[in-house]
Amino acid sequence: MNNIFHLIQKDFKRKWKNPVVILGFLLIPVVFTIIFGIVFGSSEEQTLPQVPILAVDKDKSFLTQFFLTALNQGELKKLVSLKVVEEEEGRRLLDKGKASALMIMPENFTEDVWNHRSAEILLLKNPAEQFLPQIAEEIVDTASLLFSALFSVFNNEVSLIQAFMEKGEFLDRDISTLSIQIKNRLEGIAKFVFPPVISLKQETLSKKKEEAGPSLTVQGYILPAMAIMFLLFICNIVFEDILREKETGTLRRMSVSPLKLSEFIWSKTITSALIGMICTFVLVVLGIVLFSIQWGDLFIVFLIVLCLNIMLAGFISLIYSFIHTERQAGAALSSVIIVMSMLGGSMIPVENFPPLVQQISKITLNYWGLKAFHKAIQRAPFQEMAPILVGMLAAGIVFSVAGSFFLKSNLRKGLIR
Amino acid sequence: MFQKTSRRKAEMIKIEHLTKTFNSIKAVDDISLEIEKGEIFGFLGPNGAGKTTTISMISGLLKPDSGKIHVDSMDLESNLRKIKKIMGVVPQDMAFYEELSAKENLLFWGRLQGVSRKNLEERIQSYLEATGLLGREKEPLKKYSGGMKRRINLVIGLIHQPKLLLLDEPTIGIDVQTKLNIFKLIKEASSRGTTILYTTHNLMEAEELCHRIAIMDNGKILALGTLEELIQIVGEKDIIIISGRFSVDQGRKITSLFKEATVLSLKEGKIILSLEASKKMPLLLEEFFRQGISINDVSIKQPNLESVFLKLTGKELRE
Repeated sequence: MNNIFHLIQKDFKRKWKNPVVILGFLLIPVVFTIIFGIVFGSSEEQTLPQVPILAVDKDKSFLTQFFLTALNQGELKKLVSLKVVEEEEGRRLLDKGKASALMIMPENFTEDVWNHRSAEILLLKNPAEQFLPQIAEEIVDTASLLFSALFSVFNNEVSLIQAFMEKGEFLDRDISTLSIQIKNRLEGIAKFVFPPVISLKQETLSKKKEEAGPSLTVQGYILPAMAIMFLLFICNIVFEDILREKETGTLRRMSVSPLKLSEFIWSKTITSALIGMICTFVLVVLGIVLFSIQWGDLFIVFLIVLCLNIMLAGFISLIYSFIHTERQAGAALSSVIIVMSMLGGSMIPVENFPPLVQQISKITLNYWGLKAFHKAIQRAPFQEMAPILVGMLAAGIVFSVAGSFFLKSNLRKGLIR
Repeated sequence: MFQKTSRRKAEMIKIEHLTKTFNSIKAVDDISLEIEKGEIFGFLGPNGAGKTTTISMISGLLKPDSGKIHVDSMDLESNLRKIKKIMGVVPQDMAFYEELSAKENLLFWGRLQGVSRKNLEERIQSYLEATGLLGREKEPLKKYSGGMKRRINLVIGLIHQPKLLLLDEPTIGIDVQTKLNIFKLIKEASSRGTTILYTTHNLMEAEELCHRIAIMDNGKILALGTLEELIQIVGEKDIIIISGRFSVDQGRKITSLFKEATVLSLKEGKIILSLEASKKMPLLLEEFFRQGISINDVSIKQPNLESVFLKLTGKELRE
């Protein structure tokens, strides 16, 4: 045990004197979190961006004006940024990606509607965008539907308006007749429409924060996700030393001292876990200070950090059992870490994967580490956390024991030159 | 005072029929020897002679294919951990942590050997003084010169004051001053009773340091004894090396005329033979000239370790 302590002390001194690489890996998750925070915002209630829609009014009539004005009022105005342009300019702007959709109101639109002929609105969508053109389509589609319904219900009144417009004069008697007719129509409809049988009550989940625990912010997701990935790289740095010690002859020298090879391997696993723990705590503190992440119960967070880093260190020790050179380590470890991080949710939320890949995610270390952090942030009860913590710890112990066994035989071969 | 001729009785190392093969090449071929306590024992031989393999087996790094090794009357195989505690090894490589200081390195390696912190502090101080590195102990070793690094490499092997010290070519690539410093440390350790096994391919070092020398080549011990005993192998004869423009047949023909001559090595343009130079040299050269052979170089080596090596192996150590 004394020897392990001396070895750990020595490794800490060495890392302390050359901390650049570890600091680099420590900073990357913070930088990523800042970038993602800027891109996706930090508030829990996200608002959709306005959908930029260009409109070409070829008819320039009463009804096209009415339709376009309707799209640019009230709640819709918050959702849509409408700009009326000429067709040529509209197509040019759409090509340049300056809008999500171009809506073309055809000539004779009003006339077709008056005469109950089908009038078509042409909607050109920006192919470079994924979601906003879909929203534009839904908005224009819904507006057209409402417009058509309105014309069907007020068919007689529309005919009267049409007659006035054709005559070109608005007599007081006609207007009062029209007003009474519309009033009667509205009163007739009101029986069916008011009060509505089905109503929508809006409520955002954040209002129940006190009961359900805080929801996950962008930073609360990204920081632990990136941290786990880069903790694997930090563990790798400690284990890479084994190859360097083999190369420089210090391992050979240790092998002719009373030190056991297994003590040497365990010292690396413990150093790796300890350095990982320190780095994770630094990231937890930075999460609080820089991103106001509420990690939850600090004791639970301590347990997560402990179990997670034991698991990561054990895993890397096991991987090193099959690695003989620094080149192999560079290639194999980077691939394993990146693939595992991608599948485990460190890069893309696991919920976005197809069901089969979601099942595969569960065999990655990132998945469980991330799940533990997210549950802690969401104030999950300890009973829910315990199986994850025990699982991570057990995996760590199994990996470490297996790593110690296989790595020992790998190193023995390497000592003979 | 270091006395080169001092000999003690009890044995520190006993090797019996030691053999090690790598890919059908016998690196060590059935060697047996005994090294006495307090002795400085030299393994002299060219690269690939089997010196490092022998040391690796004594230090427990390599398992012999056959044969037995006893250290301090303990069987190496069954008492490896005990033996490692009384053994120090100085490898050819600079095996330490360059980013750590001399003091941090010595503390680490000393603690690993089980030396208490208090004893270590005292020893570090005295060794740094002895190596002339006092005052620079806090600098990282990467800032040290090659010679300074070699000294620290040696001190790491000495810091726990082992009963047995294995030195594998500890003076490669260093200046004379550092070499003298290293010799001084080795002699001091020997005078404290440490048994030293020293491998080298430098004849002068072996002559100067070692009580007894084993000459190794191709995994075998060709001769073993004190310097005086080894020189007797050559006898009164000198070693003569002649280089010139002659074929192997011409060389063979000329030397056959001298019955007292022993040809050690003969190849085109170079012949090494053992002959009493003062009596036969003029006749030998006359024979070469009579054959119309032009001679480029002639050297005569008085009986010394080099001539012994030449006689035993038929080659110069630097070849």
